[in-house]
Amino acid sequence: MFELLKKVLSPVGPSGLEAPVAEVIREEIAAYVDTIEVDAMGNLIATKLGKAENPRKVMLSAHMDHIGYIVTGFEKEGFLRVTNVGGIGLVNSYNRHVVFPNGVHGVVVAQPVQGQPALKDLFVDIGAQDKDDAKKMVQLGDVCVYANDCFRLGENRVSAPAMDDRCACTLLVKLLQTVGETQDTIIAVFSVQEEVGCRGAKVASFAKAPVVGIALDVTAWGDTPGTTQPEIKLGEGIAVKVMDRASISNPALREELLACGEKAGVKTQREVLPFGGTDAGAMQTSRGGIPVCTISIPCRYVHSACEVIDMRDMDAGLKLLQTYFN
Amino acid sequence: MDLKTLTEINAPAGHEQPIRRVLIEELRAKGFNPYIDRMGNVIVVKEGTGVAPRKRVMVSAHMDEVGLIVTGHAEGGFLKVTQAGGIDPRVLISKRVKVGDDNIPGVIGAVAIHLQSAADRARVMGYRDITVDIGANDKGEAERKAPIGTYISFDTPYVEYGDGYACGKAFDDRVGCWTILRLLEEELPCDLIAAFVSEEEVGCRGASGAAFSQEPDIGIVLEGTTCNDLGDIPEVAQVCKAGEGVAVSFMDGSSIANRDLFKKALEVGEKEGIAHQVKASVSGGNDGGVIQRAREGVPVVVLSVPCRYIHSPSTVVKLSDVEAQFELCRALLKTF
Amino acid sequence: MDIKKILSESTSTLGVSGQEECVAAYFAEQFKPYVDEVTVDSMFNVVAHKKGSGPKVMLCAHLDEIALMVNHIEDDGCVRFASVGGVDPRILPGSRVWVHGRNGKLFGTIGALPPHLMNAEDRANNYKMDKLHIDLGMSAEKVREQVRVGDLVTFNTPFTELANNQVAAKSLDDRSCIAIMLRAAERLQKMYCEADVYFVCSGQEEVGGRGAKTAAFAVEPDLAVVLDVSFALTPGCGPDVAKPLDAPIVTHGPFIQPKLNKRLIDCAKAHHVKLSQEVSGRSTGTDADDIVISRGGVPSVLISLPLKYMHTAVETISLDTLEECARLLAHFVSELDASWEDDLWI
Repeated sequence: MFELLKKVLSPVGPSGLEAPVAEVIREEIAAYVDTIEVDAMGNLIATKLGKAENPRKVMLSAHMDHIGYIVTGFEKEGFLRVTNVGGIGLVNSYNRHVVFPNGVHGVVVAQPVQGQPALKDLFVDIGAQDKDDAKKMVQLGDVCVYANDCFRLGENRVSAPAMDDRCACTLLVKLLQTVGETQDTIIAVFSVQEEVGCRGAKVASFAKAPVVGIALDVTAWGDTPGTTQPEIKLGEGIAVKVMDRASISNPALREELLACGEKAGVKTQREVLPFGGTDAGAMQTSRGGIPVCTISIPCRYVHSACEVIDMRDMDAGLKLLQTYFN
Repeated sequence: MDLKTLTEINAPAGHEQPIRRVLIEELRAKGFNPYIDRMGNVIVVKEGTGVAPRKRVMVSAHMDEVGLIVTGHAEGGFLKVTQAGGIDPRVLISKRVKVGDDNIPGVIGAVAIHLQSAADRARVMGYRDITVDIGANDKGEAERKAPIGTYISFDTPYVEYGDGYACGKAFDDRVGCWTILRLLEEELPCDLIAAFVSEEEVGCRGASGAAFSQEPDIGIVLEGTTCNDLGDIPEVAQVCKAGEGVAVSFMDGSSIANRDLFKKALEVGEKEGIAHQVKASVSGGNDGGVIQRAREGVPVVVLSVPCRYIHSPSTVVKLSDVEAQFELCRALLKTF
Repeated sequence: MDIKKILSESTSTLGVSGQEECVAAYFAEQFKPYVDEVTVDSMFNVVAHKKGSGPKVMLCAHLDEIALMVNHIEDDGCVRFASVGGVDPRILPGSRVWVHGRNGKLFGTIGALPPHLMNAEDRANNYKMDKLHIDLGMSAEKVREQVRVGDLVTFNTPFTELANNQVAAKSLDDRSCIAIMLRAAERLQKMYCEADVYFVCSGQEEVGGRGAKTAAFAVEPDLAVVLDVSFALTPGCGPDVAKPLDAPIVTHGPFIQPKLNKRLIDCAKAHHVKLSQEVSGRSTGTDADDIVISRGGVPSVLISLPLKYMHTAVETISLDTLEECARLLAHFVSELDASWEDDLWI
């Protein structure tokens, strides 16, 4: 799965500009699904028809978009002023390498100020001579993201900037490739604009009207110095969400998924997150409401340029989902 | 119908009846058949001249404006108020207002500077401090004339001044309403769903229903937007500039523009020589968000007239920007 | 119908936001005698349908309650928790709770530092949620056998009758308003009623109107009446934000349809129901916020029952006011006909 993960991590795809990610994913799944479409917001929606007489429609959603910085102004010396797209952390950004979809590179810098720098004190140095030069390289409204830098960390772990949520995209791709015949119809949504409020999943779930929704996303960690909550540890198994700020998992579906983990012989963790949200929230309240749950991949340093996951948790997630559909 | 008339109608969010009446009358006079949906939106559908199947483009502007609402009455006959839509209470002191459907004149005063301590002067006056005085003799009279729930609007007439500027209230978003009225007179290839929507200022509520019911293929939102181009604002922090044309948004608090539409709007502006600018800020929110995410999703772009001192009794626009909004929207519609 | 019994039983039935199965089953049973059909949907909304030929009206009060959720078990057996919905950590020290473990509910108490051991700074600051713990009187090992991350914790406070027909309990927000709907349903059996009435007990209001949103989509009503509690006057909660305990409250504001509201106020006048009036300049903080913008829009009004000490384990209401709300609701629904939409917006 590591090679696939690397491939899915590589395209530049900030919120609102996810098409390059969709292209990579489309190629990987085309042979394994019945239909693929892209909707008005850019969601990539793949349908794999179930073999049951009246198959249930189960929607799985993993988001393609990545947090970043959007250009809001040009200094006369050629530096860019930016603001955030999604919850990107200032401290995590200092002196970071960023890249624009057109290949322009940059470095995020905080200018010296009294006290803590604010978003308005950030600028991006793209190596432009002056304002006019900068305007030839990027436009107002262009978005940059942390440049891809994927590497192994120890035996089982991998670090990369866009792990949230490309690792879940990878999991979903892998599921489609390996699950084989299923009773349920799987509606695999590679969603857009999750980081700015689960916008893609909202319209996709309206359009597809599934009867069950499962979001695939990353979750926070509690196993490094100074952190204890949430009670989630890397390498200790795939997490099944009980609650976050955007959704409370349907209790029966949650227990069913945990039981699938047990049946598959993989480790699972129960997750209570006092913050954050996933596409599950958008799916649950679409139309007349559906049971939802989130399968979470434990991920350290979420929303930084070094988001770390454990491949063993990915494998656990894959086996759990395969069991659910078989 | 002109912009002056439209801005001088008092219709805060949730109390759009006065402008709804005027719009219905005007639209009927123009030979249209407007109807009101269950969010109180006024909708006109005008068929296009193109061959079917035509694109259904919803062009929306909100009818409501920011205002105040009576929450109670104080001894001595004063009205306690809160905001209906976002108004910084600091702009209310020493202003005239119109209260209720009968447009009863009122004033918002303040304790005389002579009587303020140093601490008083440093303190920001909020809605707890502000009362509206309609000259009532006592609490009873105030309750009778302006019961709880009565809406209050700024009392500031429309004035044209300077080099093509206009000052008034409610440019946000009567400029958009005016532009739609003008667009309805044009021959367009696409079907035009003209939506005068309610309650934008309290969370984009009317547009949500309109987009759900109308199921447009494309959404164009006409707005008035912030424009801090004067004073101590460094150029990189400016949102857009009055006089430099209609502002096209790439992203705001509620939506990320559909990239193709965003680019198309800029290209059309370029090609037709219509004054336009890119709104250089991610701030505020508008109906674009709820329209984009209605049902299965709708590509949306927002075209705004820069408004200085927005949400205050004295908002300023440059009339050439209002014209540019009309021209760019018309040119864009002709491409569908 | 014994309202006290319903309040006592329902407030002691488990029904935390998102996991309302038990309380939903309870209320579904209660509505059966008064309606044609009752269903519980996948969001645990109870939808009780009383068929009629007139306008389709959705009445809605939420059945979920705020609570706590286990998020960590310490090595000394202390149970740490997060909140589900808006729980004020200041009400927790010294509370008795039920921890709903895998083998049933366990008695627990939320500990507090003894005053003897506090310094001046401790006394001056409130407890924070993440510094509190539940003591189950068991070793960590035994706790972990029975309690898991994600288990629910609810208040353990019995229903209490006070003087002058006032009652106190947890979760009267908003189960007292479901009792209003039940009483109105009972009254409507003996009244003329043309309307097609859906009584909806919605889930997940305390975490953001999620149940009402989907229920409104599914029911697709013409109009809605939302019932929720609002603040009653108490020391520290004065007339600027609160209203007297003894009268139902109607709300003005942009989220409330003004003509429909006038119809409600006129109805109250005609039937001599004393009202208080309040204003919400923006959202109402109730299910109405989501119902109004369902599909193409649902004109709605809000009736509020004043309640003291909201979101504590001793929420207090007046049963007389509850009855008045039910009387008003029944008359309003009974008088609905095709004319409800005439000149609604002009």
